[in-house]
Amino acid sequence: MNISEEMVKQIIIEVLDQMHVTEGIGLNPDEDVPPVDMTETEEAKPGTDRNEVVIGVSPAFGNMMTKTIIGIPHREVLRELKAGIEEEGLHPRLVKVYRTADVGFIAHEVAKLSGSGIGIGILSRGTTVIHQKNLAPLQNLELFSQSPLVDLETFRSIGRNAAKYAKGESPSPVPVRNDPMARPRYQGLAALLHNKEVQSVDQGKKTMEISR
Amino acid sequence: MSKRQKRFQVLSERPVNKDGFIKEWVEVGLVAMDSPYDPKPGIKIENGKVVELDGKPRQEFDMIDTWIADHCIDTKVAAEAMAIDSVEYARMLVDINVPRSRIVQMSVGMTPAKIVDVLKRMNMVELMMAMQKLRARRTPSIQAHVTNLKDTPALLAADAAEGAFRGFTELETPVGVGRYAPMNALSILVGSQIGRPGVLTQCAVEEALELTMGMRGLTAYAETVSVYGTEQVFVDGDDTPWSKAFLASAYASRGVKMRFTSGTGSEVQMGYAERKSMLYLEIRCVMLTKGAGVQGLQNGSISCIGVPGAVPSGIRAVLAENVATVLMDMEVASGNDQTFTHSPIRNTARMLMQFLPGTDFIFSGFSAVPNYDNMFAGSTHDTDDYDDYLVLQRDFQIDGGLRPVSEEDVIAVRNKAARALQEVFEELRLPPITDEEVEAVTYAHGSKDVPDRNVPEDLRAIDEFMKRGGNGLDVVRALAKHGFSDVAGAVLNMLKQKVSGDYLQTSAIFDDDFVVLSAVNDPNDYQGPGTGYRLEGERWEMLKNIPQAISPEDV
Repeated sequence: MNISEEMVKQIIIEVLDQMHVTEGIGLNPDEDVPPVDMTETEEAKPGTDRNEVVIGVSPAFGNMMTKTIIGIPHREVLRELKAGIEEEGLHPRLVKVYRTADVGFIAHEVAKLSGSGIGIGILSRGTTVIHQKNLAPLQNLELFSQSPLVDLETFRSIGRNAAKYAKGESPSPVPVRNDPMARPRYQGLAALLHNKEVQSVDQGKKTMEISR
Repeated sequence: MSKRQKRFQVLSERPVNKDGFIKEWVEVGLVAMDSPYDPKPGIKIENGKVVELDGKPRQEFDMIDTWIADHCIDTKVAAEAMAIDSVEYARMLVDINVPRSRIVQMSVGMTPAKIVDVLKRMNMVELMMAMQKLRARRTPSIQAHVTNLKDTPALLAADAAEGAFRGFTELETPVGVGRYAPMNALSILVGSQIGRPGVLTQCAVEEALELTMGMRGLTAYAETVSVYGTEQVFVDGDDTPWSKAFLASAYASRGVKMRFTSGTGSEVQMGYAERKSMLYLEIRCVMLTKGAGVQGLQNGSISCIGVPGAVPSGIRAVLAENVATVLMDMEVASGNDQTFTHSPIRNTARMLMQFLPGTDFIFSGFSAVPNYDNMFAGSTHDTDDYDDYLVLQRDFQIDGGLRPVSEEDVIAVRNKAARALQEVFEELRLPPITDEEVEAVTYAHGSKDVPDRNVPEDLRAIDEFMKRGGNGLDVVRALAKHGFSDVAGAVLNMLKQKVSGDYLQTSAIFDDDFVVLSAVNDPNDYQGPGTGYRLEGERWEMLKNIPQAISPEDV
């Protein structure tokens, strides 16, 4: 096997990324995180590419708010979701939903925009849903309701599983974690963050395509 | 600070400092019981119809206002009730000389803002006094969660049996994997009747399936029918007060006990509190429930407890919402449910609010399994806290609903439950429960001590059971055929109750002989010292005799 310079670079990047993953768990939630470039191009239209998975972010994601409840920068969240989808050979497409901050409805809306019928909805604080267009809005394929337990590794697995559903496979669900002490620690903060998120909701505004 | 003061260092590492606390933010309703945006009490009635509610004219009513105005408020007493000064009425709530019947006659003439205005004038001890006086059933009781990480049926049966044997009168199970629901329901049904005949069971899942299981006799009551205090949150949940009331009627028509669920913090948690205090919105839920004709309500924040728990006076608001429920003459299953704090001190203090006065269900529920197996994301108290709880009952001479038990007896009921379920599974063509499983669950602390099952096989089999119309009567037949005629009798008796319907009365539970204890035949008659429920006589002898107490003859 020939190891090209390109491959070495790729490996170094991956190793560095993974090192960052472990650091990510201990991120300082007080630290300021710069916004993500969320340039909007046009109104999002239903896709025709059967190999795409649409990621729908909530109204405040990336610019008004920049990190999850445990301090993971939104930039890294998107990187992991996209990497998970690409690992399975599919294409991620990013849109921003304005009309609601309900993660189930966000995920369902973007599943309907997705050429494969599979979408991922995510709130600024990290709550995530994998959805399919022909399910009822309050159903889902997978739900990650406890935002403090969604780490970078989980985001990568979510991307991977969404892509597998898009390919018609039946993957094992990403293991859902349960921490009885997440509530006392984070629920008040989650309410605070959600109310900030809701302030960016615009019920009359269309879902927008985000440039890559 | 580069150099820390050592006491502060120690304090910062205490469990209570792992809890999240936030400052009030009234503009979004992150405030417990007193928002400047809460409406002022007021009512206008024309021709027997409410035309203005708390300062809002009928044409501006949202659907919750409409529901409360048309179905909850008794316009015949409204004028008199609203004219009572709020401080005066608050005093009536704690006055032993004012009978409960007089209080609840007036409460239904009040508006949500009026009820808040009354409750916010009461301190913790006064709220506890009001609870002691106003709860519907004279005898206090307690509910438990029975669940495990692996949905292992024999373990569910054994835990249900032990829970029932220890004194819980209602047992609630959810699921780890959704499709397991009917198997979980069946397992705790069999187990509960072995621990103590007459214990009620429910399975908290998606509403249509939950109703189906009730109609088939796999469960005896329902509770997770959620209502909310703002229209937006109701709509987000794909519901209206009418759809919830319809569901309530469906249960009633099939003779299945049910209550609604709500709690402070849910609206602000979902971002649509309309700048109102958590308590004000919760009072709307309480009155909505009353208007639906439902006999009771589970509240005390429940799954949103971290929200009121994080703001000033939030835990007081939690007791106030429990009091609002009994004030409306309904049964209250008063929380002490999902985990609320890292601090054992805070945890116990929060529990005393309902434990000391007694409520219809002090916990809703106590975890009758270790918390790592609790699929409601943990409860405030679990199996490892049993002895602390028994000692608190003994210390204070208070009946919290549990009784001391011996290890031998618990082993026996756990084993019997597992064996009975083993036979039921065989008869119903469900995947076998092995002797190894029976032995493991008999002695287990939790699911980490029991073997794994073949999940896809279990799911396929229980799907098939439901498809062929399997029901509670099949369970009775299986038990009778395999020599468990006493258990068969108890399960059959539970089915019969849905025909007679006596346990649809407010605050109903069964004793060992399936005699209903409810607000009708066991009404709370507390009117000060010497009245109401007293822990005494035989029951006190039983509760005070904890096995670890040394008797004079033994030393």
